[in-house]
Amino acid sequence: MDVLTSFERLSDEEKYEHFMKRIEAGEKIEADDWMPEEYRQTLIKLISMHGISEIMGALPEKEWVPKAPTLRRKLGIMAKVQDEMGHGQLLLRVAEDLMKPYGRNREDIMQDLFTGRLKFHNVFHMPAPTWGDAGLIGWLVDGAAIMTQTNMLKASYGPYARALQRICAEEVFHAQHGEAIIMALAEGTEEQKALIQDSLNRWWDSLLMFFGPASADTTGSSKQDITVKYKIRSKTNEQLRQDFFSKYVPRILSLGLEIPDETMHYDKENETWVYQQPDWNEFKNIVKNNGPKSKDRLDLRKNAYDQNAWVRKALSPDNQAI
Amino acid sequence: MDETGKGFYQEFEVFSKRTFKSPFQHQFSLLAPNEELAIVMAQENFMRREPVADIWVVKRSDIRMLDQEEREGLQRLDNKDYRNTKGYGYLKKKWRDYEQNMLDEKEILSWGGDD
Repeated sequence: MDVLTSFERLSDEEKYEHFMKRIEAGEKIEADDWMPEEYRQTLIKLISMHGISEIMGALPEKEWVPKAPTLRRKLGIMAKVQDEMGHGQLLLRVAEDLMKPYGRNREDIMQDLFTGRLKFHNVFHMPAPTWGDAGLIGWLVDGAAIMTQTNMLKASYGPYARALQRICAEEVFHAQHGEAIIMALAEGTEEQKALIQDSLNRWWDSLLMFFGPASADTTGSSKQDITVKYKIRSKTNEQLRQDFFSKYVPRILSLGLEIPDETMHYDKENETWVYQQPDWNEFKNIVKNNGPKSKDRLDLRKNAYDQNAWVRKALSPDNQAI
Repeated sequence: MDETGKGFYQEFEVFSKRTFKSPFQHQFSLLAPNEELAIVMAQENFMRREPVADIWVVKRSDIRMLDQEEREGLQRLDNKDYRNTKGYGYLKKKWRDYEQNMLDEKEILSWGGDD
């Protein structure tokens, strides 16, 4: 092999140029490949947040496993909770391989979650007090998640793209599972119809916030420009939110539900949905673990972690001499 | 930090096959404290719906993988005609001149069949 052409001999600028060329050509970057620090850091932040959100997201839904109205519904929501944990496992693996050069691992991810350094998605800080919420989470929160995740199916980072491929295939089941619950209630008694309207009212702002602020002006920081530059995603937060409206607003209305925003309408001339902005200060506050259920859910996660410490200790290969 | 957990997680790569006829396919990686739990986790993580006929878990440290440079060296040049039947396609016309059919891949692979 010609030593002079060896990749290791290239300067950082040349490596960066080579990296960007690969990305532009649609090649996939793998875990051990050279990558710019900014790319690695952005991916770690994005994917560890995504992964831990899957796990924290299972918590509001698991509350409904014992309370689901029929055996079939119980099995359905149990399968969904199990999927979310599986997605978390998958995504954490992707994040962990990226963190490896820093000597960081899953232990650090868990500690970062407990100390608040690692944030989880705004929707999972909210209460889900009724069966209508269980359905609405599946239908619209998962619907919003599908929008953001399919937007990254062609991500330049190979391991993330492959994980998302598996995840999105299962999300289709999640969306239909949610639709089935909502449909049954929408076709039910007046009381049941009121239940889902109530859930929609409760979740509307959270759904708008789900896609993140339109620009850094709103909340002071946004990673969307960097993720677009490195072809991790293609659409901006606002484009995704608009796509969500286009897909879901007509469906929401068709079931006889009302959008809890009187100003909401489609501006044909500008081809955009006009809507009332949620309170972005509230959003910042929620993701700082000051949401209505943030503390409870973190405690639940921490208790499970602490109570199982003995298992990790007993099975740790470090302890085999004992 | 809980130091007892530091050595707990080992990296495993998971492979499985859908049926006994199908080839093993790489699924993903997972963390587990040992092989037995890696098999359990493999089923939990990757085989909740799809049928599965067999599972392998391999410690990642036992796999020799290619690095970036080696992988980039795998790119094939488009000059392999001499190695493929495509490079010998002109024979079909030649055989026609001798009033014979060409023994192509479809014909030859059919010889092993029962019919």
